[in-house]
Amino acid sequence: MPAEHRYLSARVARNEDARLLTGRALFVDDVQLPGMLHVAFVRSEHAHGRITNVDVSAAKRHTGVHAVYTAADLGSFQKPGPVLVTPPPIPNLIFNGCTQLPLAQDKVRHVGEAIAMVVADSRYVAEDAVREVVVDIDPIDAVVDLEKGLAAGAPLIHEHLESNVAAHVVQRKGNYVSARTKADTIVKRRFLYDRGVSAPIENRAVVVEWNDRSEEMTIWDTTQAPIPIRNGLARMLGLLESQVNVIAPFVGGGFGPKIMMFYPEELLLPWAAMRLKRPLKWTEDRQENFYATTQERGQVHDAEMALTRDGRILGVHDVFLFDTGAYDPYGLTIPINSQCTLLGPYDIANYESEFTAVFTNKTIVTPVRGAGRQHGVFVSERLLDLAARELGIDRVEIRKRNLIGPDKFPVNHEIMFQDSAPLIYDSGNYLPTLEQAADIIGYETFIRQEQPARRAEGRYLGVGVVCYVEGTGIGPYEGARVTIEPSGKVRCATGVGTQGQGHFTVFAQLVADALGVDVEGVKVVTGDTREFHWGTGTFASRGAVVAGSACHAAAMAVREKVLILAASLLSVTKEDLELSGGRVYVKSAPERGFSLGELSGKANPLRGAVRPGTEPGLESTAYFGPDRGSTASGVHAMVVEVDPETAMVEIKRYVVVHDCGTIINPMLVEGQIHGGVAHGIGNAFYEQLVYDEQGQLLNASFMDYLMPTATDVPPIETAHRETPSPYNPVGLKGVGEAGCIPTGALFAQAVEDALAGSGVEITEIPLSPNRLFEIIEAAKT
Amino acid sequence: MILSGTFTFEGPRSRVWEILQDPAVLAKALPGTKTLTKVGEDKYQGVMKVSVGPVNAAEFAMSVELKDKVEPEKFSLVIDGKGGVGFTKGTASIALEEQPGPVTVMTYTSDVQVGGKIAAVGQRLLESVGKMMTRQALDALNKELKSRL
Repeated sequence: MPAEHRYLSARVARNEDARLLTGRALFVDDVQLPGMLHVAFVRSEHAHGRITNVDVSAAKRHTGVHAVYTAADLGSFQKPGPVLVTPPPIPNLIFNGCTQLPLAQDKVRHVGEAIAMVVADSRYVAEDAVREVVVDIDPIDAVVDLEKGLAAGAPLIHEHLESNVAAHVVQRKGNYVSARTKADTIVKRRFLYDRGVSAPIENRAVVVEWNDRSEEMTIWDTTQAPIPIRNGLARMLGLLESQVNVIAPFVGGGFGPKIMMFYPEELLLPWAAMRLKRPLKWTEDRQENFYATTQERGQVHDAEMALTRDGRILGVHDVFLFDTGAYDPYGLTIPINSQCTLLGPYDIANYESEFTAVFTNKTIVTPVRGAGRQHGVFVSERLLDLAARELGIDRVEIRKRNLIGPDKFPVNHEIMFQDSAPLIYDSGNYLPTLEQAADIIGYETFIRQEQPARRAEGRYLGVGVVCYVEGTGIGPYEGARVTIEPSGKVRCATGVGTQGQGHFTVFAQLVADALGVDVEGVKVVTGDTREFHWGTGTFASRGAVVAGSACHAAAMAVREKVLILAASLLSVTKEDLELSGGRVYVKSAPERGFSLGELSGKANPLRGAVRPGTEPGLESTAYFGPDRGSTASGVHAMVVEVDPETAMVEIKRYVVVHDCGTIINPMLVEGQIHGGVAHGIGNAFYEQLVYDEQGQLLNASFMDYLMPTATDVPPIETAHRETPSPYNPVGLKGVGEAGCIPTGALFAQAVEDALAGSGVEITEIPLSPNRLFEIIEAAKT
Repeated sequence: MILSGTFTFEGPRSRVWEILQDPAVLAKALPGTKTLTKVGEDKYQGVMKVSVGPVNAAEFAMSVELKDKVEPEKFSLVIDGKGGVGFTKGTASIALEEQPGPVTVMTYTSDVQVGGKIAAVGQRLLESVGKMMTRQALDALNKELKSRL
């Protein structure tokens, strides 16, 4: 690190906001090309059935329609998509990879699965023609419930398999069976977590232009991972990777489902554009987003915790079912996250976790912000709450007794994490985080004074405090290229896509500090494979950690070039020099030096050769690949008031104390946390996808699918703690998902506390006023 | 969606049976019916227009088959409808009992699956729209019956 950090940890205003706030930022739907045609899809209305006939003749005759494609038209392009994430090497792991076809053929497996594609002069005409496509489907009973889906005689979703089991995994640490025999108490429950959508402001969109003269393709795509999409599409289309350019411009929210899915729309538009030799556009509407964009969170856990009478955890045993939807292209990332995150900040010596992933006739499941971590936190935190009550120990106290001490790191949990590396906590300092959160929310005063006082007035207030640990910033790697231009401006190009995180600012801060330039003078380029074509993408809270570290490394390499060249030109040593204010100069004689722009010109002379071992210009490319992820952590606390008659819950206070290592920009970290908490509150009390027994989604619109609004999300009080990660030079940890991970567990604890004495026990998320009312009523009988 | 109930026609059972088997009468009485024609013994096809909440005037191509006919006591229906915004599929059974008056008490029960866009966005309203349309149809049929007596 350079000696002086002007920008690291500073509240720097966002470089990208001028463009975003004045409407100049490019989103995929802004792309308008001459001669562009528009695409709409025919989608299955049945959750499960055999396609007996698809008649497109009337649609093809429709005025303004250019082409209608079905599975039969795709030839060799009709292949199941790739398994995107290979399951980790866990002994005896079973994984049945079944991925989706570009267009459904023979069978449909969820409502909204694409069956045919219509290309027309306008979206209006395309939608009209979609209605003229006649699809005959013989319905088959749908698999909706996970346990029924595993029962003997359940309809088979993938008929080449013997059951609807998508995967089965057991991971063990220590010996739970023997730990259980030493327990003074065992708490055991069934826990449910249900599905929601990611609900981005911007739905998915794809625009493709095939240039038949240059034989090059440009794809504007709302993907979180433009480079893998480019590489995969090139392979599938029989093109060189360099013939395909994928641009993920500004994207209005990723949250996971916009990862490199190779969605049917993402595959078919490029394929059709090459055939029709016309640019094509498809923008997902909200209805399609409810059906055809991946979702998450259906799990059923049967878990128990063995404890001593003084509240020390001896071990945890968990058996769970995971709803993977109709296909499982994303492998086992989510259930393995659930499995690993359950351990939390606690010293749990004995752990056995077994899961079965189940195919269902519902939309495909892939990570959505949190990606299974919610479930692990929900199970362990709820079990601790139940144990605390049973043992007569305070909720905060029982947690304190089980926290991993600061001297124990790195902690090896002996099980495999989602990145195929052992689950190792790199660093952390949990006790002060918990104490600070309890302190800010005023836990002791609340339970001793305020809560009883309010209860005496007939008001039901409750407090919750829960902990979580989050694996972030996993590999494999990201890269960046940093260039000082002759103007003195700096350009930093990296491969990850950006969906509002503030990459144009945080990457610029790291580069500006390394080079001693103004942060406004660093232009960051993301998500354009022509600009940078090595890397993976934005997911797993890894952008700042992995791409940020690469930007830092590339900037430090350029700094080194600046020092070497300037030292040589000024006949001093590198140690004599300083970079500051956009200049490199001799420390003892600041007037002796160059502006970085001037030096950039000297590094690229019109006369004189580039000597062996040197390169022209002030430019470097660097990569960063951590061996394993860095471990973020935090504690959330909340005060709620429950109206026991209407079951409406008001969140009165929300406190987040978190540790994401070195903070690049506290303002942006707070923004991530606020958004995450809003997302978590939605998951906890508002959002739930409702399917009927035949797999019909019954609330596929924002009329019926309830999102939290500004009035439902309270002001969030945050405090930052910084325990730097030893796994990257700046000490970074991810924070993108942190806000929403513990929210369900916290909400459950706080609501239960508000209703203490009523016998209400919360073992499921999401709740709703209606569901909570049912639980309150059931507890009365 | 299950819709069931009873309705009292103000007339004898034989006359109720008669109008329930007459496509011309049914086409007039069933709300939203644009066409209804007999295409075979106990087989009918038609087009219905339905509005459910935000789904406005959606057209469904319907086919209806009468089964298990025991004149004049009971019959059942197999319903299959397909449209641009979804599908409907199910069965209904109808029983008629004559009581002094004479009046005829109809007991009906239907189990219809609704899918696609109409189920996704109209779910909250489907049942009330179904009930409303049933009531309108039965009232209209009763009116027709009385005009014939």
